[in-house]
Amino acid sequence: MSRVHRGAEERLRRLLVMLPWLMERGEVPLAEVAERFRLTEGEVAADLELVAMCGLPPFVDELIDIFIDEGTVFVGVPRLFTRPLRLNSTEAFELLAAGRAAMELPGADPAGPLGRGLAKLAAALGGDAGADSGFGEGLDVDLERPEATDRVADAARRLERLRITYWSASRDESTERVITPRQVYADRGNWYVTATDHRTETLRTFRLDRIESLEPTGELGEPTDEPLPEPGQWFLDGGMPRVTLRLAPAARWVIETYPVDDVGEPDDDGWVIARLPVASDRWLERVLVRLGDRAEVVEPARLAELGRAAASRILARYRDAS
Amino acid sequence: MAERVERLTNLLALLLETSEPLSLVEIAGELRGQYPEKESARRGAFERDKAALREMGVPIEQEVVVGGPYAGSTKYWIDRARYELDDLRLEPDEMRALQVAVAATRTGSDLGQEAMWKLGSGVIDREPAVVATMPSLPGLPLLRDAIARRATVEFVYRDVDRTVEPYGLLLRDGFWYLVGFDHTRGERRTFRVDRIEGRITMGDGEQFEHPDGLNLRTVLPDDPKMLGPDGDTAEAIVRVDAVRAPAVVRELGADRLVDTNPNGDVDVRVPCANREAFRSWVLGLMEHAEVRSPADVRADIVEWLEREAAG
Repeated sequence: MSRVHRGAEERLRRLLVMLPWLMERGEVPLAEVAERFRLTEGEVAADLELVAMCGLPPFVDELIDIFIDEGTVFVGVPRLFTRPLRLNSTEAFELLAAGRAAMELPGADPAGPLGRGLAKLAAALGGDAGADSGFGEGLDVDLERPEATDRVADAARRLERLRITYWSASRDESTERVITPRQVYADRGNWYVTATDHRTETLRTFRLDRIESLEPTGELGEPTDEPLPEPGQWFLDGGMPRVTLRLAPAARWVIETYPVDDVGEPDDDGWVIARLPVASDRWLERVLVRLGDRAEVVEPARLAELGRAAASRILARYRDAS
Repeated sequence: MAERVERLTNLLALLLETSEPLSLVEIAGELRGQYPEKESARRGAFERDKAALREMGVPIEQEVVVGGPYAGSTKYWIDRARYELDDLRLEPDEMRALQVAVAATRTGSDLGQEAMWKLGSGVIDREPAVVATMPSLPGLPLLRDAIARRATVEFVYRDVDRTVEPYGLLLRDGFWYLVGFDHTRGERRTFRVDRIEGRITMGDGEQFEHPDGLNLRTVLPDDPKMLGPDGDTAEAIVRVDAVRAPAVVRELGADRLVDTNPNGDVDVRVPCANREAFRSWVLGLMEHAEVRSPADVRADIVEWLEREAAG
């Protein structure tokens, strides 16, 4: 029944949020408990039976009055664990950061329920300085977005088909295509949309700042059962070619900006060896030209010439002009 | 011996229920048969349980007994007021909005959801239409605490020991930044949180005041090309091909557009105070951009390309 072995800490943590909720409700179908707390019914039953046996002398077995009968959880007189445990500092951070980020997403209304909820949360979590410390200003998320974002996010909510002109970095050309946006996401400072590309009827990811123009087609797309890729995980694709680079300290931004498979220990001069997925030759030559002599291609040899060739091409433009 | 979850639950219940602080001997007596008999093994098991509960956020208080037959031994209890979550009095729509916010942010952990369960909310199964990924770093919760409590923090940054009054955290372009007053340098500084080396330690609270009206977004210029020495406002004129022109004008803003040629090429004014950032930006456009003026900025790009082309 259980997926993986759940540790004692994890089980207790879950129980401490489950019990107060159950005590307030008094009587809840087992299936509902399982769904709400992302557990199987077997896991809920095992955990509840276990706490029902907990107890302190002289009240052994009477600490938590709870039992399961015919698929329903019943709670007797609530005594202990009637209120949830306070948020720990990590949970508080995650919640506030999520709230601040959501406030930056297309469609957010600062005066709406999220703004009000966050204000209550910030006041409660403000520490001894309280809400007056300006804590709300102490944590901020800046997700500046390209113009097209709101329109595409709206289309994703309504499954609206769009006709877009898209500049493809890997081919260095603009093409027109029809897409049904599924999910818009921000990752590492850029905005993307995962969409069904109707030329191939497959899910593809587009960078929103590269959408040159967009217009509605007037049609609606079909809902899809195909699971959306986890944002920012496209590089896990094992079929994508890899490059091994040797990077100077001033070239470290590459490791922080792009997905990497692995990074070695710095040598005496601070250079590191890193292996990265290569989205396209065009992408790699752009990276190499920007890095100049701060990077060397270790392997494969085929890619070592890319940076040099690209630099010559750009240089030609300067020579023609002068 | 009982399952560990059972022992942890009983320990938690005992420390919440007790009317007076309890020593380990007393705790083991109450939880008969659940802790090992041998003293060193008992101490080891109890310390593991205590650490596990504290890790969850359970505030276990302790004091050392002074005088009397138990002098020197430590006693433990939990203050229920510090254990229980304050009722935030969230309205249903506010709860729902926070739940949507948690579903819309990906941090690589379930802690946001754990927090929502504590607040009394369920889960959202529907895939949200808009999401943001946020890097999760071990130092962030502590820094937030320190900002809220106005506690000074100490850490190593660029090989230098720093003592910093933390003012705020900002996520921008995929990185978390800490803004604060750096006592080591005697001025306000910005630190990339992922570049802080090793552990961060936090001192006592209420050590400083937050500056009035500090806006984290303006403290940190959002265009790295503008970050020059001492307010340098240098600009370069860059010609961009028609194919990339719309995106570049969108990025820089229409007020930086100098000229549009009949073929669709544009000339734009671009900040170049930070030569590194400027070069990286121009070269990112590859053969679709060319620096027109000033001459020294153009020469700088040409020299860079010649070195790269010569390999």
